[in-house]
Amino acid sequence: MSEPIIRVENVSFSYNPSAEKPVFALQDINLEVFPGDYLVIVGHNGSGKSTLAKHFNALLRPTQGDVWVDGMNTKDPKCVLPIRATVGMVFQIPDNQIVATVVEEDVAFGPANLGVPEEELRARVDWALKIVDMDAYRQRAPHLLSSGQKQRVAIAGAMALKPKVLVLDESTSMLDPAGREEVLKAVRTLNKEGTTIVAITHFMHEAVEGNRVIVMEAGRIVAQGSPREVFSNVETLRALHLDVPQVTELAYELHKRDNTFPADLLTVDEIVQEIERRLEQKERIGGYSWARHYTGQ
Amino acid sequence: MENFEFLRNVTIGQYFQGDSIIHRLDPRAKITILLILVVVNSFILSFTGNVLLLSWCIALVLLSGISFRFMLSGIKPALPLIVIFALMQLFFYGDAYPPYGMESVTYWRWGIMSITNGSIQLVIVTLMRFLEIFFLVSLLTSTTTTTNIAYAIESMLEPFQRLRVPAQEISLIGTIALRFVPIFAEQMEIIMKAQASRGADFGEGGVFQFVKRTRQMVTLIVPLFVDAFRRAEDLILAMDARCYTGGRGRTKIVRFHMQRVDLLFIAFTAVFGVLIMVFRNHFPI
Ligand SMILES: Nc1ncnc2c1ncn2[C@@H]1O[C@H](COP(=O)(O)OP(=O)(O)OP(=O)(O)O)[C@@H](O)[C@H]1O
Ligand SMILES: [Mg+2]
Repeated sequence: MSEPIIRVENVSFSYNPSAEKPVFALQDINLEVFPGDYLVIVGHNGSGKSTLAKHFNALLRPTQGDVWVDGMNTKDPKCVLPIRATVGMVFQIPDNQIVATVVEEDVAFGPANLGVPEEELRARVDWALKIVDMDAYRQRAPHLLSSGQKQRVAIAGAMALKPKVLVLDESTSMLDPAGREEVLKAVRTLNKEGTTIVAITHFMHEAVEGNRVIVMEAGRIVAQGSPREVFSNVETLRALHLDVPQVTELAYELHKRDNTFPADLLTVDEIVQEIERRLEQKERIGGYSWARHYTGQ
Repeated sequence: MENFEFLRNVTIGQYFQGDSIIHRLDPRAKITILLILVVVNSFILSFTGNVLLLSWCIALVLLSGISFRFMLSGIKPALPLIVIFALMQLFFYGDAYPPYGMESVTYWRWGIMSITNGSIQLVIVTLMRFLEIFFLVSLLTSTTTTTNIAYAIESMLEPFQRLRVPAQEISLIGTIALRFVPIFAEQMEIIMKAQASRGADFGEGGVFQFVKRTRQMVTLIVPLFVDAFRRAEDLILAMDARCYTGGRGRTKIVRFHMQRVDLLFIAFTAVFGVLIMVFRNHFPI
Protein backbone atom coordinates (compact mmCIF):
# COMPACT_ATOMS: atom_id res chain seq x y z
CA MET A 1 0.00 0.00 0.00
CA SER A 2 1.20 3.51 -0.73
CA GLU A 3 2.28 6.01 1.90
CA PRO A 4 -0.56 7.95 3.50
CA ILE A 5 -0.78 11.56 2.38
CA ILE A 6 -2.20 12.60 5.74
CA ARG A 7 -1.33 10.76 8.94
CA VAL A 8 -2.94 11.72 12.22
CA GLU A 9 -1.15 10.14 15.18
CA ASN A 10 -2.72 10.07 18.65
CA VAL A 11 -4.00 13.58 18.25
CA SER A 12 -5.86 15.31 21.02
CA PHE A 13 -6.78 18.93 20.75
CA SER A 14 -8.21 21.49 23.11
CA TYR A 15 -9.22 25.06 22.32
CA ASN A 16 -8.28 26.00 25.89
CA PRO A 17 -5.33 23.75 26.81
CA SER A 18 -4.01 26.00 29.55
CA ALA A 19 -7.33 26.32 31.34
CA GLU A 20 -7.87 24.54 34.62
CA LYS A 21 -10.26 22.08 33.05
CA PRO A 22 -9.37 21.95 29.38
CA VAL A 23 -12.16 20.71 27.14
CA PHE A 24 -10.92 18.40 24.43
CA ALA A 25 -12.53 18.83 21.05
CA LEU A 26 -10.48 15.90 19.72
CA GLN A 27 -9.33 12.89 21.69
CA ASP A 28 -6.83 10.25 20.62
CA ILE A 29 -7.50 10.48 16.94
CA ASN A 30 -5.63 8.10 14.69
CA LEU A 31 -6.30 8.30 11.01
CA GLU A 32 -4.57 7.78 7.70
CA VAL A 33 -5.72 9.23 4.43
CA PHE A 34 -4.25 7.68 1.31
CA PRO A 35 -3.71 9.26 -2.10
CA GLY A 36 -6.85 8.93 -4.18
CA ASP A 37 -9.13 8.39 -1.18
CA TYR A 38 -12.55 9.96 -0.99
CA LEU A 39 -12.96 10.12 2.75
CA VAL A 40 -16.24 11.27 4.22
CA ILE A 41 -16.51 12.49 7.80
CA VAL A 42 -19.94 12.46 9.41
CA GLY A 43 -20.98 13.21 12.95
CA HIS A 44 -23.24 15.24 15.12
CA ASN A 45 -22.92 19.02 15.54
CA GLY A 46 -19.95 19.75 17.74
CA SER A 47 -18.46 16.29 17.36
CA GLY A 48 -15.17 17.78 16.21
CA LYS A 49 -15.32 17.34 12.46
CA SER A 50 -14.25 20.87 11.60
CA THR A 51 -11.62 20.83 14.31
CA LEU A 52 -10.14 17.68 12.80
CA ALA A 53 -10.30 19.10 9.29
CA LYS A 54 -8.41 22.21 10.40
CA HIS A 55 -5.59 19.98 11.55
CA PHE A 56 -5.09 18.74 8.01
CA ASN A 57 -3.83 22.10 6.76
CA ALA A 58 -2.20 23.46 9.90
CA LEU A 59 -4.97 25.93 10.67
CA LEU A 60 -4.85 24.22 14.06
CA ARG A 61 -1.96 22.33 15.61
CA PRO A 62 -2.48 19.33 17.88
CA THR A 63 -2.28 19.80 21.65
CA GLN A 64 -0.94 16.26 21.82
CA GLY A 65 0.20 13.98 19.03
CA ASP A 66 1.25 14.83 15.49
CA VAL A 67 -0.26 15.40 12.10
CA TRP A 68 1.88 14.59 9.09
CA VAL A 69 0.99 15.91 5.66
CA ASP A 70 2.96 14.47 2.79
CA GLY A 71 5.83 13.83 5.20
CA MET A 72 5.70 17.31 6.81
CA ASN A 73 4.76 17.88 10.42
CA THR A 74 2.12 20.57 10.88
CA LYS A 75 3.91 21.76 14.01
CA ASP A 76 6.94 22.82 11.98
CA PRO A 77 6.46 26.53 11.18
CA LYS A 78 8.58 26.20 8.05
CA CYS A 79 6.16 23.61 6.68
CA VAL A 80 2.98 25.62 7.14
CA LEU A 81 2.89 27.15 3.66
CA PRO A 82 3.84 23.96 1.79
CA ILE A 83 1.22 22.09 3.82
CA ARG A 84 -1.46 24.63 2.95
CA ALA A 85 -0.49 24.35 -0.69
CA THR A 86 -0.79 20.56 -0.40
CA VAL A 87 -4.14 20.53 1.37
CA GLY A 88 -6.70 22.93 -0.07
CA MET A 89 -9.79 23.75 1.91
CA VAL A 90 -13.30 24.85 1.02
CA PHE A 91 -15.60 26.10 3.75
CA GLN A 92 -19.28 26.14 4.40
CA ILE A 93 -20.44 29.61 3.43
CA PRO A 94 -19.51 30.48 -0.15
CA ASP A 95 -19.59 34.24 0.37
CA ASN A 96 -17.19 34.26 3.27
CA GLN A 97 -14.27 32.74 1.42
CA ILE A 98 -14.24 34.79 -1.75
CA VAL A 99 -11.77 37.64 -1.37
CA ALA A 100 -11.78 39.43 -4.68
CA THR A 101 -14.52 41.12 -6.62
CA VAL A 102 -13.88 39.34 -9.90
CA VAL A 103 -13.98 35.57 -10.23
CA GLU A 104 -10.61 35.06 -11.88
CA GLU A 105 -8.85 37.36 -9.46
CA ASP A 106 -10.24 35.43 -6.56
CA VAL A 107 -9.06 32.17 -8.02
CA ALA A 108 -5.61 33.72 -8.41
CA PHE A 109 -5.46 34.74 -4.74
CA GLY A 110 -3.87 31.54 -3.44
CA PRO A 111 -1.06 31.11 -5.96
CA ALA A 112 -0.45 34.88 -5.94
CA ASN A 113 0.25 34.60 -2.22
CA LEU A 114 2.93 32.06 -3.05
CA GLY A 115 4.48 34.43 -5.56
CA VAL A 116 3.71 32.28 -8.59
CA PRO A 117 4.87 34.27 -11.64
CA GLU A 118 2.25 35.98 -13.77
CA GLU A 119 2.27 33.59 -16.69
CA GLU A 120 1.86 30.48 -14.61
CA LEU A 121 -0.69 32.29 -12.50
CA ARG A 122 -2.86 32.76 -15.58
CA ALA A 123 -2.39 29.15 -16.62
CA ARG A 124 -3.42 27.91 -13.19
CA VAL A 125 -6.49 30.13 -13.09
CA ASP A 126 -7.56 28.90 -16.53
CA TRP A 127 -7.07 25.31 -15.48
CA ALA A 128 -8.84 25.64 -12.13
CA LEU A 129 -11.84 27.42 -13.64
CA LYS A 130 -12.14 24.79 -16.30
CA ILE A 131 -12.24 21.84 -13.93
CA VAL A 132 -15.15 23.33 -12.02
CA ASP A 133 -16.77 24.37 -15.29
CA MET A 134 -16.79 28.06 -14.45
CA ASP A 135 -14.53 29.46 -17.15
CA ALA A 136 -17.45 31.24 -18.78
CA TYR A 137 -17.82 33.36 -15.64
CA ARG A 138 -14.25 34.47 -15.13
CA GLN A 139 -14.98 38.18 -15.40
CA ARG A 140 -18.14 38.05 -13.30
CA ALA A 141 -18.57 39.65 -9.91
CA PRO A 142 -19.04 36.91 -7.33
CA HIS A 143 -22.17 38.44 -5.82
CA LEU A 144 -23.94 37.94 -9.13
CA LEU A 145 -23.42 34.16 -9.05
CA SER A 146 -25.68 31.49 -7.59
CA SER A 147 -24.42 29.92 -4.40
CA GLY A 148 -23.57 26.70 -6.21
CA GLN A 149 -21.48 28.69 -8.65
CA LYS A 150 -19.84 30.63 -5.83
CA GLN A 151 -18.91 27.41 -4.14
CA ARG A 152 -17.40 26.13 -7.38
CA VAL A 153 -15.36 29.32 -7.57
CA ALA A 154 -14.19 28.61 -4.03
CA ILE A 155 -13.17 25.13 -5.12
CA ALA A 156 -11.29 26.58 -8.07
CA GLY A 157 -9.59 28.98 -5.67
CA ALA A 158 -8.40 26.08 -3.58
CA MET A 159 -7.41 24.01 -6.61
CA ALA A 160 -5.35 26.84 -8.08
CA LEU A 161 -2.80 26.00 -5.39
CA LYS A 162 -2.53 22.58 -7.08
CA PRO A 163 -3.16 20.73 -3.83
CA LYS A 164 -2.98 16.95 -3.55
CA VAL A 165 -5.84 16.91 -1.06
CA LEU A 166 -9.05 18.93 -1.09
CA VAL A 167 -10.93 19.25 2.18
CA LEU A 168 -14.58 20.31 1.98
CA ASP A 169 -16.09 21.34 5.31
CA GLU A 170 -19.84 21.07 4.81
CA SER A 171 -19.41 22.84 1.53
CA THR A 172 -22.79 21.75 0.24
CA SER A 173 -24.87 22.54 3.30
CA MET A 174 -25.82 26.07 2.28
CA LEU A 175 -26.70 25.14 -1.29
CA ASP A 176 -29.95 24.25 -3.00
CA PRO A 177 -30.20 20.73 -4.43
CA ALA A 178 -29.11 21.85 -7.89
CA GLY A 179 -26.07 23.69 -6.51
CA ARG A 180 -25.24 20.69 -4.35
CA GLU A 181 -25.28 18.41 -7.36
CA GLU A 182 -23.02 20.84 -9.29
CA VAL A 183 -20.50 20.84 -6.48
CA LEU A 184 -20.62 17.07 -6.01
CA LYS A 185 -20.05 16.62 -9.71
CA ALA A 186 -16.99 18.86 -9.62
CA VAL A 187 -15.66 16.99 -6.60
CA ARG A 188 -16.24 13.62 -8.26
CA THR A 189 -14.33 14.79 -11.31
CA LEU A 190 -11.44 15.99 -9.17
CA ASN A 191 -11.33 12.69 -7.31
CA LYS A 192 -11.34 10.76 -10.58
CA GLU A 193 -8.42 12.85 -11.78
CA GLY A 194 -6.45 11.89 -8.71
CA THR A 195 -7.14 14.53 -6.07
CA THR A 196 -7.65 13.08 -2.63
CA ILE A 197 -10.94 14.26 -1.17
CA VAL A 198 -11.90 14.72 2.47
CA ALA A 199 -15.54 15.75 2.71
CA ILE A 200 -17.47 16.64 5.84
CA THR A 201 -21.20 16.42 5.41
CA HIS A 202 -24.52 16.21 7.18
CA PHE A 203 -26.20 14.65 4.18
CA MET A 204 -25.96 10.93 4.46
CA HIS A 205 -26.70 10.32 0.82
CA GLU A 206 -23.57 12.35 0.08
CA ALA A 207 -21.57 10.17 2.41
CA VAL A 208 -22.22 7.33 0.00
CA GLU A 209 -20.02 9.13 -2.55
CA GLY A 210 -16.88 8.23 -0.66
CA ASN A 211 -14.84 5.07 -0.50
CA ARG A 212 -14.36 5.49 3.24
CA VAL A 213 -16.53 6.95 5.97
CA ILE A 214 -15.57 7.87 9.49
CA VAL A 215 -18.14 8.68 12.12
CA MET A 216 -17.21 11.10 14.89
CA GLU A 217 -18.80 11.61 18.25
CA ALA A 218 -17.57 13.81 21.09
CA GLY A 219 -14.11 14.22 19.60
CA ARG A 220 -13.51 10.56 18.86
CA ILE A 221 -13.80 8.36 15.82
CA VAL A 222 -16.50 5.89 16.76
CA ALA A 223 -16.93 3.99 13.51
CA GLN A 224 -15.13 3.72 10.24
CA GLY A 225 -15.08 1.63 7.12
CA SER A 226 -16.59 1.57 3.69
CA PRO A 227 -19.96 3.31 3.41
CA ARG A 228 -21.59 -0.10 3.22
CA GLU A 229 -19.94 -1.30 6.40
CA VAL A 230 -20.69 1.87 8.30
CA PHE A 231 -24.26 2.36 7.22
CA SER A 232 -25.33 -1.24 7.69
CA ASN A 233 -24.99 -0.57 11.43
CA VAL A 234 -28.26 1.31 11.45
CA GLU A 235 -28.78 0.84 15.18
CA THR A 236 -25.35 2.24 16.06
CA LEU A 237 -25.92 5.30 13.92
CA ARG A 238 -29.35 5.86 15.38
CA ALA A 239 -27.87 5.67 18.86
CA LEU A 240 -25.57 8.52 17.78
CA HIS A 241 -28.59 10.46 16.50
CA LEU A 242 -27.33 10.24 12.97
CA ASP A 243 -29.39 9.55 9.94
CA VAL A 244 -28.68 6.78 7.57
CA PRO A 245 -29.18 7.26 3.84
CA GLN A 246 -32.89 6.87 3.06
CA VAL A 247 -32.23 3.92 0.82
CA THR A 248 -30.34 2.13 3.55
CA GLU A 249 -33.12 2.86 5.96
CA LEU A 250 -35.67 1.35 3.60
CA ALA A 251 -33.49 -1.69 3.07
CA TYR A 252 -33.05 -2.00 6.81
CA GLU A 253 -36.79 -1.88 7.46
CA LEU A 254 -37.37 -4.51 4.79
CA HIS A 255 -34.60 -6.58 6.31
CA LYS A 256 -36.35 -6.49 9.68
CA ARG A 257 -39.46 -8.02 8.14
CA ASP A 258 -37.68 -10.47 5.91
CA ASN A 259 -34.17 -11.23 6.95
CA THR A 260 -33.22 -12.54 3.53
CA PHE A 261 -33.45 -8.96 2.28
CA PRO A 262 -29.97 -7.37 2.38
CA ALA A 263 -29.73 -4.55 4.91
CA ASP A 264 -26.73 -2.78 3.45
CA LEU A 265 -27.96 -1.29 0.20
CA LEU A 266 -26.75 2.23 -0.52
CA THR A 267 -28.20 3.50 -3.77
CA VAL A 268 -31.59 3.69 -5.38
CA ASP A 269 -30.30 1.53 -8.24
CA GLU A 270 -29.25 -1.20 -5.88
CA ILE A 271 -32.58 -1.36 -4.15
CA VAL A 272 -34.52 -1.27 -7.40
CA GLN A 273 -32.45 -4.16 -8.73
CA GLU A 274 -32.93 -6.16 -5.58
CA ILE A 275 -36.69 -5.72 -5.63
CA GLU A 276 -36.89 -6.55 -9.30
CA ARG A 277 -34.86 -9.65 -8.74
CA ARG A 278 -37.20 -10.72 -5.97
CA LEU A 279 -40.30 -10.06 -8.00
CA GLU A 280 -38.97 -12.16 -10.85
CA GLN A 281 -38.10 -14.93 -8.45
CA LYS A 282 -41.59 -14.95 -6.98
CA GLU A 283 -43.01 -14.99 -10.45
CA ARG A 284 -41.02 -18.08 -11.25
CA ILE A 285 -42.04 -19.78 -8.03
CA GLY A 286 -45.68 -18.86 -7.83
CA GLY A 287 -46.41 -19.00 -11.52
CA TYR A 288 -48.08 -15.65 -11.21
CA SER A 289 -46.61 -12.47 -12.55
CA TRP A 290 -46.28 -10.30 -9.51
CA ALA A 291 -44.24 -7.89 -11.51
CA ARG A 292 -47.12 -7.47 -13.90
CA HIS A 293 -49.51 -7.38 -11.01
CA TYR A 294 -47.71 -4.40 -9.54
CA THR A 295 -47.00 -2.54 -12.71
CA GLY A 296 -50.40 -3.27 -14.17
CA GLN A 297 -49.02 -4.40 -17.51
CA MET B 1 -41.91 44.96 -0.66
CA GLU B 2 -40.18 47.60 -2.66
CA ASN B 3 -39.08 49.27 0.55
CA PHE B 4 -36.76 46.40 1.22
CA GLU B 5 -35.01 46.45 -2.09
CA PHE B 6 -33.43 49.86 -1.77
CA LEU B 7 -30.19 48.58 -0.33
CA ARG B 8 -29.50 46.75 -3.49
CA ASN B 9 -29.44 50.14 -5.10
CA VAL B 10 -26.18 51.14 -3.50
CA THR B 11 -24.41 52.08 -6.71
CA ILE B 12 -21.11 52.94 -5.11
CA GLY B 13 -19.00 49.83 -5.16
CA GLN B 14 -20.96 48.10 -7.87
CA TYR B 15 -19.05 47.31 -11.02
CA PHE B 16 -20.98 47.67 -14.22
CA GLN B 17 -19.45 45.74 -17.06
CA GLY B 18 -18.89 47.73 -20.22
CA ASP B 19 -16.44 48.69 -22.92
CA SER B 20 -16.55 52.48 -22.93
CA ILE B 21 -13.49 54.67 -23.09
CA ILE B 22 -13.90 55.32 -19.37
CA HIS B 23 -13.97 51.59 -18.67
CA ARG B 24 -10.75 51.15 -20.58
CA LEU B 25 -8.83 53.95 -18.93
CA ASP B 26 -5.98 52.90 -16.70
CA PRO B 27 -7.40 52.78 -13.17
CA ARG B 28 -4.50 54.91 -11.98
CA ALA B 29 -5.51 57.55 -14.48
CA LYS B 30 -9.07 57.40 -13.24
CA ILE B 31 -8.00 57.77 -9.63
CA THR B 32 -5.74 60.69 -10.53
CA ILE B 33 -8.63 62.38 -12.34
CA LEU B 34 -10.87 61.72 -9.37
CA LEU B 35 -8.33 63.22 -7.00
CA ILE B 36 -7.84 66.32 -9.14
CA LEU B 37 -11.56 66.94 -9.41
CA VAL B 38 -12.12 66.32 -5.71
CA VAL B 39 -9.49 68.92 -4.86
CA VAL B 40 -11.09 71.38 -7.28
CA ASN B 41 -14.48 70.54 -5.81
CA SER B 42 -13.31 71.42 -2.33
CA PHE B 43 -12.20 74.88 -3.42
CA ILE B 44 -15.08 75.94 -5.62
CA LEU B 45 -17.89 77.57 -3.68
CA SER B 46 -19.42 79.63 -6.45
CA PHE B 47 -22.49 78.81 -8.44
CA THR B 48 -20.87 79.12 -11.86
CA GLY B 49 -17.84 77.13 -10.91
CA ASN B 50 -19.98 74.27 -9.71
CA VAL B 51 -22.15 74.34 -12.80
CA LEU B 52 -18.96 73.94 -14.84
CA LEU B 53 -17.63 71.18 -12.63
CA LEU B 54 -20.93 69.34 -12.54
CA SER B 55 -21.15 69.53 -16.34
CA TRP B 56 -17.68 68.07 -16.57
CA CYS B 57 -18.71 65.19 -14.31
CA ILE B 58 -21.90 64.63 -16.29
CA ALA B 59 -19.87 64.55 -19.48
CA LEU B 60 -17.70 61.83 -17.99
CA VAL B 61 -20.76 59.83 -17.00
CA LEU B 62 -22.12 60.19 -20.54
CA LEU B 63 -18.83 58.94 -21.94
CA SER B 64 -19.00 55.89 -19.71
CA GLY B 65 -22.36 54.83 -21.12
CA ILE B 66 -23.68 54.22 -17.62
CA SER B 67 -27.27 55.28 -17.27
CA PHE B 68 -28.12 58.17 -15.00
CA ARG B 69 -31.04 56.18 -13.68
CA PHE B 70 -28.65 53.55 -12.40
CA MET B 71 -26.41 56.20 -10.88
CA LEU B 72 -29.10 58.29 -9.29
CA SER B 73 -30.86 55.26 -7.88
CA GLY B 74 -27.86 55.02 -5.59
CA ILE B 75 -28.72 58.33 -3.93
CA LYS B 76 -32.10 57.12 -2.78
CA PRO B 77 -30.94 55.52 0.47
CA ALA B 78 -29.08 58.69 1.43
CA LEU B 79 -31.99 60.97 0.60
CA PRO B 80 -33.25 61.45 4.18
CA LEU B 81 -29.80 62.51 5.32
CA ILE B 82 -29.37 64.86 2.40
CA VAL B 83 -32.71 66.47 3.15
CA ILE B 84 -31.77 66.92 6.83
CA PHE B 85 -28.51 68.59 5.93
CA ALA B 86 -30.08 70.77 3.29
CA LEU B 87 -32.76 71.96 5.72
CA MET B 88 -30.21 72.65 8.43
CA GLN B 89 -28.13 74.67 6.03
CA LEU B 90 -31.17 76.53 4.79
CA PHE B 91 -32.36 77.56 8.24
CA PHE B 92 -29.25 77.86 10.36
CA TYR B 93 -26.45 78.96 8.04
CA GLY B 94 -28.06 82.10 6.74
CA ASP B 95 -25.74 84.44 8.60
CA ALA B 96 -22.62 82.31 8.56
CA TYR B 97 -22.35 82.31 4.78
CA PRO B 98 -22.78 85.62 3.04
CA PRO B 99 -23.74 84.98 -0.56
CA TYR B 100 -21.01 84.86 -3.16
CA GLY B 101 -21.22 87.62 -5.72
CA MET B 102 -24.46 89.16 -4.42
CA GLU B 103 -25.78 91.62 -1.89
CA SER B 104 -26.95 89.85 1.22
CA VAL B 105 -30.75 89.63 1.44
CA THR B 106 -32.73 88.14 4.34
CA TYR B 107 -36.10 86.68 3.36
CA TRP B 108 -37.27 85.37 6.69
CA ARG B 109 -36.08 85.38 10.28
CA TRP B 110 -37.34 83.76 13.48
CA GLY B 111 -35.09 83.46 16.52
CA ILE B 112 -31.87 81.80 15.47
CA MET B 113 -33.43 80.58 12.27
CA SER B 114 -33.29 82.56 9.06
CA ILE B 115 -33.41 82.14 5.34
CA THR B 116 -31.12 84.37 3.33
CA ASN B 117 -30.01 84.35 -0.28
CA GLY B 118 -26.69 83.18 1.16
CA SER B 119 -28.24 80.08 2.69
CA ILE B 120 -30.20 79.33 -0.48
CA GLN B 121 -27.03 79.59 -2.51
CA LEU B 122 -25.29 77.39 0.02
CA VAL B 123 -27.94 74.69 -0.27
CA ILE B 124 -27.83 74.66 -4.05
CA VAL B 125 -24.05 74.74 -4.22
CA THR B 126 -23.75 72.03 -1.58
CA LEU B 127 -26.14 69.81 -3.49
CA MET B 128 -24.15 70.32 -6.66
CA ARG B 129 -20.91 69.57 -4.86
CA PHE B 130 -22.42 66.46 -3.41
CA LEU B 131 -23.61 65.34 -6.82
CA GLU B 132 -20.15 65.95 -8.29
CA ILE B 133 -18.44 63.78 -5.70
CA PHE B 134 -21.17 61.21 -5.94
CA PHE B 135 -20.90 60.99 -9.72
CA LEU B 136 -17.12 60.80 -9.62
CA VAL B 137 -16.94 58.08 -7.02
CA SER B 138 -19.70 55.94 -8.48
CA LEU B 139 -18.21 56.46 -11.92
CA LEU B 140 -14.89 55.14 -10.69
CA THR B 141 -16.39 52.12 -8.97
CA SER B 142 -18.89 51.26 -11.67
CA THR B 143 -16.38 51.35 -14.50
CA THR B 144 -13.46 49.81 -12.66
CA THR B 145 -13.40 46.46 -10.96
CA THR B 146 -12.61 46.87 -7.32
CA THR B 147 -9.57 44.72 -7.64
CA ASN B 148 -8.27 47.08 -10.29
CA ILE B 149 -8.93 50.02 -8.01
CA ALA B 150 -7.07 48.24 -5.26
CA TYR B 151 -4.16 47.43 -7.53
CA ALA B 152 -4.08 50.99 -8.74
CA ILE B 153 -4.00 52.37 -5.22
CA GLU B 154 -1.33 49.86 -4.38
CA SER B 155 0.76 50.82 -7.35
CA MET B 156 0.31 54.51 -6.60
CA LEU B 157 1.37 53.93 -3.01
CA GLU B 158 4.39 51.87 -3.99
CA PRO B 159 6.78 54.83 -3.93
CA PHE B 160 5.81 55.32 -0.28
CA GLN B 161 6.57 51.74 0.63
CA ARG B 162 10.04 52.80 1.63
CA LEU B 163 8.38 54.97 4.25
CA ARG B 164 6.78 51.77 5.57
CA VAL B 165 3.40 52.43 4.03
CA PRO B 166 1.85 48.94 3.71
CA ALA B 167 0.61 49.43 0.15
CA GLN B 168 -0.37 45.81 -0.47
CA GLU B 169 -2.30 45.49 2.76
CA ILE B 170 -4.13 48.74 2.24
CA SER B 171 -5.23 47.65 -1.19
CA LEU B 172 -6.35 44.25 0.06
CA ILE B 173 -8.37 45.81 2.85
CA GLY B 174 -9.98 48.07 0.27
CA THR B 175 -10.88 45.19 -2.01
CA ILE B 176 -12.36 43.15 0.78
CA ALA B 177 -14.36 46.08 2.08
CA LEU B 178 -15.84 46.65 -1.36
CA ARG B 179 -16.37 42.94 -1.91
CA PHE B 180 -18.58 42.82 1.16
CA VAL B 181 -20.71 45.85 0.30
CA PRO B 182 -23.29 43.86 -1.68
CA ILE B 183 -23.18 41.04 0.87
CA PHE B 184 -24.00 43.35 3.73
CA ALA B 185 -26.66 45.07 1.67
CA GLU B 186 -28.26 41.71 1.14
CA GLN B 187 -27.82 40.77 4.78
CA MET B 188 -29.48 43.99 5.84
CA GLU B 189 -32.39 43.20 3.61
CA ILE B 190 -32.70 39.77 5.21
CA ILE B 191 -32.64 41.28 8.69
CA MET B 192 -35.21 43.88 7.73
CA LYS B 193 -37.51 41.29 6.29
CA ALA B 194 -37.09 39.10 9.35
CA GLN B 195 -37.94 42.01 11.62
CA ALA B 196 -40.80 43.17 9.43
CA SER B 197 -42.30 39.69 9.54
CA ARG B 198 -42.29 40.00 13.32
CA GLY B 199 -44.11 43.28 13.18
CA ALA B 200 -41.39 45.90 12.75
CA ASP B 201 -42.59 48.70 10.55
CA PHE B 202 -40.13 49.86 7.93
CA GLY B 203 -42.57 50.58 5.18
CA GLU B 204 -44.33 53.65 6.46
CA GLY B 205 -43.08 56.60 8.42
CA GLY B 206 -41.91 58.37 5.34
CA VAL B 207 -38.67 60.08 4.69
CA PHE B 208 -39.29 62.73 7.31
CA GLN B 209 -39.78 60.65 10.44
CA PHE B 210 -36.13 60.76 11.31
CA VAL B 211 -36.32 59.71 14.95
CA LYS B 212 -38.31 56.64 14.11
CA ARG B 213 -36.01 55.84 11.23
CA THR B 214 -32.92 56.22 13.36
CA ARG B 215 -34.33 53.95 16.02
CA GLN B 216 -35.06 51.37 13.38
CA MET B 217 -31.52 51.70 12.11
CA VAL B 218 -30.11 50.70 15.49
CA THR B 219 -32.11 47.50 15.53
CA LEU B 220 -30.64 46.77 12.11
CA ILE B 221 -27.07 47.70 12.77
CA VAL B 222 -26.52 45.54 15.83
CA PRO B 223 -27.35 42.22 14.14
CA LEU B 224 -25.49 43.43 11.07
CA PHE B 225 -22.33 43.90 13.12
CA VAL B 226 -22.68 40.49 14.69
CA ASP B 227 -22.98 39.03 11.23
CA ALA B 228 -19.98 41.02 10.01
CA PHE B 229 -17.74 39.70 12.76
CA ARG B 230 -18.78 36.14 12.07
CA ARG B 231 -18.00 36.58 8.40
CA ALA B 232 -14.67 38.20 9.20
CA GLU B 233 -13.65 35.18 11.24
CA ASP B 234 -14.53 32.87 8.38
CA LEU B 235 -12.68 35.06 5.95
CA ILE B 236 -9.51 35.00 8.02
CA LEU B 237 -9.54 31.21 8.03
CA ALA B 238 -10.18 31.08 4.31
CA MET B 239 -7.31 33.48 3.62
CA ASP B 240 -4.99 31.53 5.90
CA ALA B 241 -5.95 28.32 4.18
CA ARG B 242 -4.98 29.90 0.87
CA CYS B 243 -1.48 30.74 2.05
CA TYR B 244 -1.96 34.42 2.78
CA THR B 245 0.96 35.68 4.86
CA GLY B 246 0.81 39.40 4.23
CA GLY B 247 1.65 41.57 1.30
CA ARG B 248 5.26 40.67 0.75
CA GLY B 249 6.09 38.66 -2.35
CA ARG B 250 2.59 38.50 -3.74
CA THR B 251 2.33 38.40 -7.50
CA LYS B 252 -0.39 40.02 -9.52
CA ILE B 253 -2.59 38.81 -12.30
CA VAL B 254 -3.27 42.38 -13.45
CA ARG B 255 -0.67 44.72 -14.87
CA PHE B 256 -1.27 48.20 -16.16
CA HIS B 257 0.42 50.31 -18.72
CA MET B 258 -0.44 53.98 -19.06
CA GLN B 259 -1.48 54.74 -22.62
CA ARG B 260 -1.57 58.04 -24.49
CA VAL B 261 -5.29 58.37 -23.95
CA ASP B 262 -4.80 58.01 -20.18
CA LEU B 263 -2.28 60.81 -20.17
CA LEU B 264 -4.55 62.91 -22.38
CA PHE B 265 -7.46 62.49 -19.99
CA ILE B 266 -5.30 63.43 -17.04
CA ALA B 267 -3.90 66.45 -18.88
CA PHE B 268 -7.36 67.69 -19.90
CA THR B 269 -8.65 67.33 -16.38
CA ALA B 270 -5.62 69.04 -14.94
CA VAL B 271 -5.93 71.99 -17.33
CA PHE B 272 -9.64 72.27 -16.65
CA GLY B 273 -9.04 72.09 -12.92
CA VAL B 274 -6.31 74.71 -12.95
CA LEU B 275 -8.41 77.07 -15.06
CA ILE B 276 -11.38 76.83 -12.71
CA MET B 277 -9.14 77.30 -9.71
CA VAL B 278 -7.45 80.36 -11.21
CA PHE B 279 -10.73 81.99 -12.16
CA ARG B 280 -12.66 80.87 -9.12
CA ASN B 281 -12.82 84.36 -7.66
CA HIS B 282 -13.82 85.96 -10.95
CA PHE B 283 -17.12 84.20 -11.61
CA PRO B 284 -20.12 86.58 -11.51
CA ILE B 285 -22.17 84.42 -9.11
N1 LIG C 1 -12.99 28.51 18.10
C1 LIG C 1 -13.42 27.70 19.09
N2 LIG C 1 -13.16 28.00 20.38
C2 LIG C 1 -13.58 27.20 21.39
N3 LIG C 1 -14.26 26.06 21.19
C3 LIG C 1 -14.56 25.70 19.92
C4 LIG C 1 -14.16 26.50 18.82
N4 LIG C 1 -14.58 25.92 17.68
C5 LIG C 1 -15.21 24.80 18.06
N5 LIG C 1 -15.21 24.66 19.41
C6 LIG C 1 -15.79 23.54 20.16
O1 LIG C 1 -15.15 22.35 19.77
C7 LIG C 1 -16.08 21.30 19.61
C8 LIG C 1 -16.00 20.73 18.21
O2 LIG C 1 -16.42 21.72 17.29
P1 LIG C 1 -16.38 21.53 15.73
O3 LIG C 1 -16.65 22.84 15.11
O4 LIG C 1 -15.14 20.85 15.35
O5 LIG C 1 -17.59 20.55 15.51
P2 LIG C 1 -18.25 20.08 14.13
O6 LIG C 1 -18.31 18.61 14.19
O7 LIG C 1 -17.56 20.68 12.98
O8 LIG C 1 -19.71 20.64 14.28
P3 LIG C 1 -20.67 21.23 13.14
O9 LIG C 1 -21.37 20.06 12.54
O10 LIG C 1 -21.61 22.09 13.93
O11 LIG C 1 -19.85 22.01 12.18
C9 LIG C 1 -17.44 21.88 19.94
O12 LIG C 1 -17.75 21.50 21.25
C10 LIG C 1 -17.25 23.36 19.82
O13 LIG C 1 -18.06 24.02 20.75
MG1 LIG D 1 -18.11 22.12 11.44
